[in-house]
Amino acid sequence: MGIIALGAAVAVLTGIGAGIGIGIATAKATESIARQPEAKGDIRTSLIIGCALAEATAVYGFVIALLIIIMLGSK
Amino acid sequence: MAEELMEGLENHTAFTIHLFGLDIPIAESCVVTWIIMAVVVLLSIIFTHGLKKVPTGRQCIIEGIVGWLDKLFLDILGEKGKKYLSFLETLIIYIAFANLMGLFGFVPPTKDINVTAALAGIAIIFVQLAFIIEKGPLKWLKSFLNPINVLDLITRPLSLCMRLFGNVLGAFVVMELIKLAFTTVIGVPAIGVPVIFSAYFDIFDGLLQAYIFVFLTTLYMTEAMEEEEHGGKKLKKAKKAATSRR
Repeated sequence: MGIIALGAAVAVLTGIGAGIGIGIATAKATESIARQPEAKGDIRTSLIIGCALAEATAVYGFVIALLIIIMLGSK
Repeated sequence: MAEELMEGLENHTAFTIHLFGLDIPIAESCVVTWIIMAVVVLLSIIFTHGLKKVPTGRQCIIEGIVGWLDKLFLDILGEKGKKYLSFLETLIIYIAFANLMGLFGFVPPTKDINVTAALAGIAIIFVQLAFIIEKGPLKWLKSFLNPINVLDLITRPLSLCMRLFGNVLGAFVVMELIKLAFTTVIGVPAIGVPVIFSAYFDIFDGLLQAYIFVFLTTLYMTEAMEEEEHGGKKLKKAKKAATSRR
């Protein structure tokens, strides 16, 4: 079980990339809203799409970690 | 503790229909979907019966919601996307209700990977249909000469399906862990505290995921429908920028 848990933990490391990505995207979005407040709506929609796409990697890692635990751990 | 969590992750069979010697298992997600259908149909009847030219009361609410959704999709699709609106709005209403079902003590149907896979399949078939309707079957076949388009047919539904499933499952697991932590670790039954987390995981995340699923479908549709000529596109973009600046 120990090595399986370790495998699942490694799979969840994908969250690091998503965190950095969403952080950068949000930083840029706030910057651009401060510079151009009239384009707020457009910036928000593209930020949401970008966050959703970046977040997907974290979700994939989570799904794979769960699959590892369920498939291998139950044996 | 681990067994309880594992139990929650499985997809249960609600009941089995015996028909002509066949056993047809009906999944829990299917039964919850029937409940959602009943609720949505009932709400539609309540909200749309006796419509008037000058809206009052409940008609104002529904006109506000439908107008907001219309504007949301038409901004992306453009005027010729009007005939696809009913499908996209149905999809967003179903997914939003499905994600919110966790609030009422039901298991959200989107926690079942079969449901999200079916939804992603429907969405991607619809995108291809829009392509055929807008540009004709010949151009549709021609688009597959580009291997990226063939790859998109597989990766897009896969990512749509996994994103929705992973997010709903993640929210479900975290909520179960919070409830378990209160009862087993601290020793007091959790009253009130999960509400705060539920507001984020069930309501905010559920609605956001419904929005993102349909938003991405709409984006794929625009990509399939848009003209190849770059001159027209640029002009449209400039026009849009001018109107939004006003």
